[in-house]
Amino acid sequence: MRHILPLTTLVIVLMATQLAAANTPTIRLFPTTVVEDLRQTGNVARDMETGLQEVIGRLDQQQELYLETKCNGAEDDPGCQRLAKQIGATYLEMLTIMAERLPDMEHTVNNTRKSLEKGLRNELGKKMTPWKLQETLLGANATQAASQSAPTLRGRSGMRLSERFKQYYQLVATSGAQGDQSLAVLASDIYLDMEETSLLIQRTRQEIARATLMEQLNQSFGIITPEMIAVVGGVKSILFGDEDSQPLIAAPPPGSVEQAYRSPLEN
Amino acid sequence: MNSRITGNPLLVIVAIIATSFGLTSCASTAPTCASPQAKNLDTAIASVQASLLNGCQAHFERYYDDLLTIAEGDAKPENKREFSEFLVWANDNGLLSNRQAENYYNRYFNVKFMAMKGDYNNCSNTCPNKQKVLLSMESELSNKERGLMKISRDADAYYRADKLFQEIELVLEATCTACSASR
Repeated sequence: MRHILPLTTLVIVLMATQLAAANTPTIRLFPTTVVEDLRQTGNVARDMETGLQEVIGRLDQQQELYLETKCNGAEDDPGCQRLAKQIGATYLEMLTIMAERLPDMEHTVNNTRKSLEKGLRNELGKKMTPWKLQETLLGANATQAASQSAPTLRGRSGMRLSERFKQYYQLVATSGAQGDQSLAVLASDIYLDMEETSLLIQRTRQEIARATLMEQLNQSFGIITPEMIAVVGGVKSILFGDEDSQPLIAAPPPGSVEQAYRSPLEN
Repeated sequence: MNSRITGNPLLVIVAIIATSFGLTSCASTAPTCASPQAKNLDTAIASVQASLLNGCQAHFERYYDDLLTIAEGDAKPENKREFSEFLVWANDNGLLSNRQAENYYNRYFNVKFMAMKGDYNNCSNTCPNKQKVLLSMESELSNKERGLMKISRDADAYYRADKLFQEIELVLEATCTACSASR
């Protein structure tokens, strides 16, 4: 099994490269570095999830036990205090794992963001007029029906972080098979997401430093703060997705494709 | 003869009254520039063309809107051609410049947005006016709904215009952020 996986990956990458070569896009938005950065970000995210999954599972169990034993409102009880301390220790463990993994994550996310930023600025920002941008987005023939293979990425909650990057990687790795119109949208979507993720990681790192200090103090008293519960909830939704908020994808209403008339006035 | 007229005040008064009658009768023959009454687009276009050639060119905008309203009552793909031919005629007759004719046509019947037309690059031209451009595009999208969907029954083209608008919103947000980021 350990030998099969890299082989499969190699076959997929080779197929993707062939597809890309067969249909080379005219705008360069995804240099190989971006593809590699995305793959690496996905790996870092997966490692972080694996590391945190067990700790978060343990935290959930401990919190459940705390509630079941009616410790809420009985904080002075020695048993409850012991439970609270255990929860606090697990919480600290979670924060430590995140603090260890986040710099790597931040680094790869920023690399991807910077590469995409350069591509977008040069290819779409400086080399194109607004009219050319429209033509690129519409594809070679503006009168043809919209491409069915266009990526639909918007609304990414409800998806694991590693899954999200895996999807990005797969889309980008096979992007040669799609037209420039898909590439421009894909690059914009990933770039804006990276901007957001980068900012979120920055804030999270600051918060972790503060929360770690607070929890180290709380350990002496064995208190479960509402903040702890909120932070755990937040980490879970970022890493493992929020299943309640699945995005709805609108389907186009039925409309017959009329015989296209092209006016001499049409640009 | 002149001395005789100026010499007779009664004749002067009669001459003034006659002139003013003459002027009033001229004013009454000025075109009324009324909106076309026909419900059929071909007939309405013919009537508008006659009015436009008869001194009503200043009302072109209103006539165009009247024709769009009439066409909405009988929506069909051929309407696109009718409007195109009407605008080409207006251009040939010097009522509109080529640029104006293109603008009138493309705002309503083309998937692409006239609000996104410029000769300079996006970083320098579109990004500094992003909000203004997007607002103009939004208003143009409702023109396209009228032209493509309600007049030409070309739902597919309208949905492409709508999708293009959404994509431009996203791509401009990313591109303009990238343009303004420190090099």
